Amino acid sequence: MQRGAVRRARDLRSGPDTRRRPLPAVSALALSLAAVALVAAACGSSTPAAAKKKANSTTTTTATTVPTITSTTTASAAPGTTTTAAKPVVHTPTPAATTSSTACSSSGGALSTTCDTKSPSLQVNGAGANSIQPFFTRVFYYYNQANHGVSVNYSPAGSSVGVSDIEQGTVNFGDSEIPIPAPATGTSGNILQVPVDLGGVALSYNLPGVNGGLKLDGPTLAGIFLGTIKTWNNPAIAALNPGVNLPSTTIVPVHRADSSGPGYDLDQYLIDTGGSAWTSSKAGTTPSTKWPITTVGVGEQLNTGVAGYIQQTPGAIGYVEYAYALQASFTNAALKNQAGSFVTPSQSSIAAAGAQASGLSASNFNIVNGPGAGTYPLANFSWTLVYQKQSNTTLGVVLGKLLDWVTTTGQQQAAALGYSPLPANVVSLAHQTLLGLENSAGKPLFS
Amino acid sequence: MAPTLLEEVPPPRLTPVGGVKEALQRRSARPGGRAYTVVRWSGAVLFAAIVVALVVSLLASSSQAFAHSGLSFFWSGTYNAAKDIYPTGVFILGTLITTAVAIILAVPIGVGTAAFLSEFAPRWLATPLSVAIDLIAAVPSIVVGLWGLLVLQPIFTRHVEPFMKKIPVLEWFFHGPALGPSMFLAGTVLAVMILPTIVALSRTSMSAVAVEDREAARALGATRWQVVTTAVVPGARTGIEAAVTLGIGRAMGETIAVAMVIGNNYALPHSLLSPGATLGSAIINNFGEASPGLDRASVIGLVVVLLVLSALVNVGGQLLMRARSRVVGATT
Amino acid sequence: MSSTVYAIDPDAAGAIGARRDLVRESARRSLVRRRLLGRAAIVLCVVAVAVSLAPLVALVAYTTSRGIHALSWTFLTHIPTPPGIPGGGVSNAIVGTVIIVGVAVAMAVPVGIMAALFLVERTGRIASALRFAADVLTGVPSIAVGAFAVAVFVDPFDHYSGLVGSFALATLMLPIVIRANEAAMRSVPRDLWEAGLALGVRRSRVVRSVVLRGALPGLVTGNLLAVSRAVGETAPLLFTIFGSGFLVANPTQPMQALPLTIFTDGTSAQPSSQLIAWGSAFVLLVLVLVLSVVARVVSARLNRQAR
Repeated sequence: MQRGAVRRARDLRSGPDTRRRPLPAVSALALSLAAVALVAAACGSSTPAAAKKKANSTTTTTATTVPTITSTTTASAAPGTTTTAAKPVVHTPTPAATTSSTACSSSGGALSTTCDTKSPSLQVNGAGANSIQPFFTRVFYYYNQANHGVSVNYSPAGSSVGVSDIEQGTVNFGDSEIPIPAPATGTSGNILQVPVDLGGVALSYNLPGVNGGLKLDGPTLAGIFLGTIKTWNNPAIAALNPGVNLPSTTIVPVHRADSSGPGYDLDQYLIDTGGSAWTSSKAGTTPSTKWPITTVGVGEQLNTGVAGYIQQTPGAIGYVEYAYALQASFTNAALKNQAGSFVTPSQSSIAAAGAQASGLSASNFNIVNGPGAGTYPLANFSWTLVYQKQSNTTLGVVLGKLLDWVTTTGQQQAAALGYSPLPANVVSLAHQTLLGLENSAGKPLFS
Repeated sequence: MAPTLLEEVPPPRLTPVGGVKEALQRRSARPGGRAYTVVRWSGAVLFAAIVVALVVSLLASSSQAFAHSGLSFFWSGTYNAAKDIYPTGVFILGTLITTAVAIILAVPIGVGTAAFLSEFAPRWLATPLSVAIDLIAAVPSIVVGLWGLLVLQPIFTRHVEPFMKKIPVLEWFFHGPALGPSMFLAGTVLAVMILPTIVALSRTSMSAVAVEDREAARALGATRWQVVTTAVVPGARTGIEAAVTLGIGRAMGETIAVAMVIGNNYALPHSLLSPGATLGSAIINNFGEASPGLDRASVIGLVVVLLVLSALVNVGGQLLMRARSRVVGATT
Repeated sequence: MSSTVYAIDPDAAGAIGARRDLVRESARRSLVRRRLLGRAAIVLCVVAVAVSLAPLVALVAYTTSRGIHALSWTFLTHIPTPPGIPGGGVSNAIVGTVIIVGVAVAMAVPVGIMAALFLVERTGRIASALRFAADVLTGVPSIAVGAFAVAVFVDPFDHYSGLVGSFALATLMLPIVIRANEAAMRSVPRDLWEAGLALGVRRSRVVRSVVLRGALPGLVTGNLLAVSRAVGETAPLLFTIFGSGFLVANPTQPMQALPLTIFTDGTSAQPSSQLIAWGSAFVLLVLVLVLSVVARVVSARLNRQAR
């Protein structure tokens, strides 16, 4: 009765009802969508590790070459161009005669020699800085190729997320541009901090008619970023650059609106060399990842924003990661280093900054404005964070070997992306730190 | 025996059954009605639960910041006692200015577009055009931000903003150098982002105005346009108000796209051409790297400030609408 | 009754005629003026349409110009490879987006329609409070919704998953769904409701057959708007689904999504990554376009058959 009543009500409005059941069209659509979803789920969760698991019936092969401490030579001979997916030449795994499954923890085998990971499809999760993501993606890809079975998933949600995630134990490792200040602890105890990457910060500018390598030092940069030096032909800049025809364009300083490692580095440099103008301003005497002078110039998001702004604004100057400036072919300033020479950023000058680091550790990580004639003053390492005590021994061994590989053979990938390979002393620091990994009973995993 | 003419015929019994409301109550007392009532109430309860959970979570996460600064957080929040102050007042001003610019640009254009699509455009044109305009809503905000930064900003700096300076009345708003990112550019990008909302919802309500109302207006001698202004727009008023409200909400809460084109300068803006900052841009800039503790609490505190501001703007808007409708009602 | 005949004064007749002519003339002039104003207003509306379309054309053209070179069969069916290594794609992101948004829609749309039904029928204080809450909530930045989802679902369990991302997107969509659906349902004329009720039809039946069917185009538009917004959101996903380099179709695991790829690769220095980002943006637009068209076609067919 009610259906008829509704029909009559509608008829009053707009004529008789001649509708067919529309169900077939809708249900066909729904069925097809469901079919697509089923197909996707069926092929789902196909990690390369799982695929390789089907391919290799045996367990993983072993790595052969013990990564030597003096691996700078191999690292600096990097082919490192964007060629095809050739496997790295050095690290071909040869199946050992005895693929015996000796447990690493009891034999005390060295990092990455006759150790068998025994886990064909182990997935490792990490989170941390956005800037290291290209390097990590590449390195982990090659590691997976070389050491079948370990696949790494890295989330570039930011250094702070990486730190808080590792502290809470949500991920297996974290990465941060600034190490955790001592004491570095989390829910599972002590956190080891391993330097894995060396990068620099370029001061890029857009000044038509002026070539790259404009000389700037601490006081002039401080003046630019504080807004006291307003035009490019200011006497202070001209004094540093005799013979260069500087236009009278207004300077527009660009800073990172979000927190950043490059900002921290530049802040540190200006605190060290910028004089009282900088330290008595809002910047103070402690560097911070948040750019302190927010009322002068323009703030942009991430390297992309800063680079985009510099590219289209004549007169702009800002700081970007050197890897970014390299890819975008920016003109960069030559900064005055501690020795008094003006150095432009390059992979070698940044590598020199890393090599000069003495007494490097997580609590003494600052390499800004370091000594050396060819040192570029704005450089920093990126630090990976893992727990010292690994409750899962296999995972601990995998993490140790992974990071050791990243800091040695993996450095070949750094150059292709605009980073500098880790210097020898830092590689040994990384190695020493990783030797501190222990299992849940407190026994060292490696020796 | 049949009553004679002179006998009184007792009037038929009229048992009081009450009005429509009682009838409906009897209806919904039936089993089907109860299920329907349950459905409605469960939807409302679920939504209310999510709202409450969200508000409680935000307040809990930001309590440290408010405990640290008290109510002064609303105009100058303390982020880190040693280092930095969030000039919340500047952010609020920036949010209001950019939202105002967005609304001033988007509402006339959006309502005009909706009017055209629902009243004047032929069917074969209206549907593809509405699909096209809705597509703007699907562009990720980071893509809009990048487009605004890389494409729109040079055009604005070189052509549009100098042009605006020449218009006599507007000159006062547009003084100062055009550095590139500006409140005006941010407002324009926001207008682009809220346009689909306004167009889609306005169009829905306009199409739904009863045909009798249009015919009545026509019968009284209205031209096609006057039908729109006298019958359609007033009839669609609640829908258009909903559209504008949603648009305001979106504009106030936008983060990434605004952050890329506004310049993130925390000084008090002196013109539409100066770079500035909004609550949304400040939140997105500081959230990712805020360390747990006072840092993170302060950023969430900014979110709370944004919600309070949004609530105030909504209340103000509703009061305005109610006052206008009272005026309109009095004059008809 | 007297039979006086009053002769009409010829001057008076002229005056009446003149007055009639005056009225006619002013009516004609008014019509001309109103028509002219109307035409000018319509022209302005056409200009408004052109202005509305301009950003869309610009955005689509820009995205296409930067992203079209990335498109290939490999791009759509392979998982990503690191920067500089060819043969990568975004299949994991596409699958992830479809699944995450699908689950989010399944969460938000039913609840939204139910709540919209509540708001349509009631006018009390509860309804006003809920409506106000929905209006204010549309202003919540998406990153705050992401933080909320993390606080509720990730922190207690120390586990990222696609479901958390779906929940964040659903929370983001909910206020828009509610308000848009309410507006659509309200646009069904009141007398249709009342006719149904007056005929003794159960209220739920009236809603189902009359209101929902009558409001269907508006419902589809409103929900599509919310879905479009959700598909492009990055911030809530960045902190909840964790991302993955692999094809994951299980929502209880960390997954990848197109906005995440766009964000991560778009802000990278490597031109190859940037190309992938713009290609992903293009794929996203195409996905939404397809969804939009399909939904409208289905709704139009339902509507036509309902007449």
